Amino acid sequence: MLSLATTLAVSLAAPQVAAPTSFALRASKVLTCADEGDPFVNNGIVLVKDGKIEAVGRERDIEIPEGYELFDCGDAWLAPGFVELHCHEAGRSLYSGVNDLNDTVYLTNPGMRASAAVDPGNRSMQMAVAAGVTTVLYIPGSGSNIGGQGILLKTSFNRFEENLVKNPGSMKLAQWGNPESWGPGVGRTFENWNTRHTLQRGIAYAKTWEAFEAGEGEEPQRNVSYDVFRHLRANDIAISTHTQFYQVVLMTLTMVHGELGLPVFLDHSSLGGWRTGALAEEMGVAAICGPRSVDPPSRRVVNWAQLGQEGFKGLAAGYQEQGHTNIGFNTDSPVIPQEELPLNAAMGARYGFDDSNLEVLRGLTIVPAKAARIADRVGSLEAGKDADILVVTGHPADPRTAVEAVFVNGRRAYDAERDGRRW
Amino acid sequence: MKTLNANPGAAIRALLFLAVLGAAPNQLSASPRALAQDDEASEDDADGNEKEKDADTWFAITNADVYTGTGAVLRGATILAKNGVIDEIGYDLFLPDATETLDAMGMRVYPGLVAMGATSSLSGGGLTSADADDIEHLDPHFGLDDPMRGDEIDAHVSPDHDDDESFGDYDESDSELTATIADVERIEDSFDPFGQALVLALATGITTAEQSGAAVKLKRGEIKGMVVNTDHLAGFGWSVSNPASIRKTREDFAGASQYLREHGAWDELDKDAKKETKEPSKPKNFDAAAYDVLTGKKLARFSADDREDLSGIATFAQRYGFRPVIFGCREGWTVASELGRAGAYALLTPRERSPKSELLVRAGGSSIENAAILHEHGVQVAIRPANTGFGSSMSGITGRDLLSLPVEAAFGVRGGLPEDAAIAAISLVPARLLGAADRIGTLEPGKDLDAIVTDGDLLHYETFVQWAIVSGKVVYDKQDEVYFAHIRPRPEPPQAPEPEATDDGGDDQEPAVDDAGVDEDASDDEEPTADDEATDDDDESEDDRRAA
Repeated sequence: MLSLATTLAVSLAAPQVAAPTSFALRASKVLTCADEGDPFVNNGIVLVKDGKIEAVGRERDIEIPEGYELFDCGDAWLAPGFVELHCHEAGRSLYSGVNDLNDTVYLTNPGMRASAAVDPGNRSMQMAVAAGVTTVLYIPGSGSNIGGQGILLKTSFNRFEENLVKNPGSMKLAQWGNPESWGPGVGRTFENWNTRHTLQRGIAYAKTWEAFEAGEGEEPQRNVSYDVFRHLRANDIAISTHTQFYQVVLMTLTMVHGELGLPVFLDHSSLGGWRTGALAEEMGVAAICGPRSVDPPSRRVVNWAQLGQEGFKGLAAGYQEQGHTNIGFNTDSPVIPQEELPLNAAMGARYGFDDSNLEVLRGLTIVPAKAARIADRVGSLEAGKDADILVVTGHPADPRTAVEAVFVNGRRAYDAERDGRRW
Repeated sequence: MKTLNANPGAAIRALLFLAVLGAAPNQLSASPRALAQDDEASEDDADGNEKEKDADTWFAITNADVYTGTGAVLRGATILAKNGVIDEIGYDLFLPDATETLDAMGMRVYPGLVAMGATSSLSGGGLTSADADDIEHLDPHFGLDDPMRGDEIDAHVSPDHDDDESFGDYDESDSELTATIADVERIEDSFDPFGQALVLALATGITTAEQSGAAVKLKRGEIKGMVVNTDHLAGFGWSVSNPASIRKTREDFAGASQYLREHGAWDELDKDAKKETKEPSKPKNFDAAAYDVLTGKKLARFSADDREDLSGIATFAQRYGFRPVIFGCREGWTVASELGRAGAYALLTPRERSPKSELLVRAGGSSIENAAILHEHGVQVAIRPANTGFGSSMSGITGRDLLSLPVEAAFGVRGGLPEDAAIAAISLVPARLLGAADRIGTLEPGKDLDAIVTDGDLLHYETFVQWAIVSGKVVYDKQDEVYFAHIRPRPEPPQAPEPEATDDGGDDQEPAVDDAGVDEDASDDEEPTADDEATDDDDESEDDRRAA
């Protein structure tokens, strides 16, 4: 039913001035993605006050307070802004034209911060917001095993402070694929040892602070390289892991989460990684899939995973078959352009991911928000959360669906009519 | 009567069907067509029926929602093809006895898609890339300027159906077609009718691909008749950054136009005057390609993105009265009315991303609305993805190459292109660009039955092609291939109720009951059968005959 796109144009009574601090949006369908209650509301109202969502509900249940301007979105739908957990485009590296932030000096460099390279309002982010991607995790590249700290940002504003959601937003771990090309003479065995060793040192460092804060021992000496582990130990952020292949994803789960007890979510997670689905579900580790959406047939071209399969195997579908319930999507932009995050979700559905309960939209919103520990602010349309709201003409993942307007923090960050359609 | 003693019969049928799909070209005697002919021949021997029937194979798609591509949608209609060519589309059609039927209840039928600039991986052979951009830096007429060329103009293919037929059954002794036959042979010889990429293309719904400028039907297991047309697009240069390219194009058309005028005037002279007047000779730098464009034998192709170039091409084309084909056309949306007035065709990629130069004030760069704006101004829009092979999908990243051709068209819809125009952009319009629209591109009587049966809206991302049909033959069945069969498997068609007593025929449109979904009802109705063992096999008529 949801795939029937309503293509009628939206006539937002769009004033050319900044949106008022308090307003109401009315739409034929509100996809809330809330865990409690209805995942969607027909003929719904969203009240926004001071950048936050004040209330969401059916039109007949919600009274619009006095002084609130009403924007009627007509036949359009409302959806939460998308959350991307694998972005390399929100900043700028030393090399012009290359956005990926790769310091391949140290194999493990947990002290490096992506935040220093953030380039607010760059073209990629302008495209992102036009496609409905309102929050990104901007992370260092996967050239080293631990590339540094990611930062969670809104995509819509020109000032760093306005975009900031959380810094550090994650610690970036890359377990398979790129670090192997690091320098001569380093094998995967050493890399694995070194990664574990770094994680253990970081945990030990964080524990000394925990002890001090509990009133035991002297104040430890500050080490900015390992400060990020205090956030990890507090479960305030998670490790975003570039991981793929069954055996390696298994190491992410058993070593990083099981043995060392660090919060983690799977990024990439392709090439047979879905076979760990049951274990990942048991451990509560979210599986974020991308930029690959399928494991291709083993014959010809690529057979890295040695899967021995003949057909196209959808990754999200694979995790789902294993009983996993927290499956999301990422782009690894610029591998896939940032604005094509919803297409990656659509491809997940094409290749077998069941979308009968809005799983595709959840995988673009609340699932990644929870994985990144920011679900208190974004990921669903619920009272108290940031007013990051998309006005769309149909199913948010359908390539045919146009994004008519995007509100971020209650401000009209993009309006196709006002700004010209960017995407 | 048909006894639904399904399993053994169905298994044998399935095996036969697979064998047919896998048959090498030199084993074509095992094709369904040949089998059908055998059946009929034996029948005819017995009955002494008319001989003409021998050659005809009949194929029908029944109960489908037929999206003809001409604007009409016929719900639950039947398409009947005779010898691979659509005979009739409609309701309550009379299906000849030997009709092989494909029950597409609940499905949609669209014209087969046409992929422009498909990489040579599709053919599996050594064809050069048909992508003009790859050879843009070369003289577009490179290798075509040999002195014989002008004399061969008349031997070149005209888009007439009759002439095209010569491609399928050409006569080696026909010297006039030598050049073209060489092209056809080159393509046929380098084509792999069993390749993986071929199957993936069919799975996407592509039944014709452009290879080296030729329209190549994706036949499976055979190469006969696969080339519909060759060299319909003649390349010309036009770039303000390379003024020599513009000068050359102007000269080419000026020369050809002058020759046409002079020769036209001479043609109109009476016999005696002709003897006295010398027949105008071709100018020294006569350009055959420009002549072909001006005489309507070919379309002129330009590769251009910049709006100054696009404007220039539009103006130039109007001056000489031809309709330009523009590959790229990135900034077309900024000069759409000029292109519309020139009757241009555009081949573009809706998802193209190229910001305009920061040095320029005026509008420019790519736009997601490009296809929609051009369409609105009367430009015929064809669409292709940026990557016209399967490499991206085969490394696991989907949605951005030829395996997702309809997705690329869907992005056109995102920018405002009407859905029927988006479908035409990957079927009818590219067929026109290849000079093959008289044979393919829409579903109409008289055209080839190149069609796809889908389980939903072609432009929806979850839709799969269930069957692909080329020239009235099923060449792809999702459930018979390894690639997508496991994804939302097609439900078995509802089983017909067990026949309790003799069923007195009229079951041509009954739902198919076998695995392949192809129901060959050959001679069921005519032969009174008392034999309980009679099955759905291909050899049943023989059994029946013996029983009788």
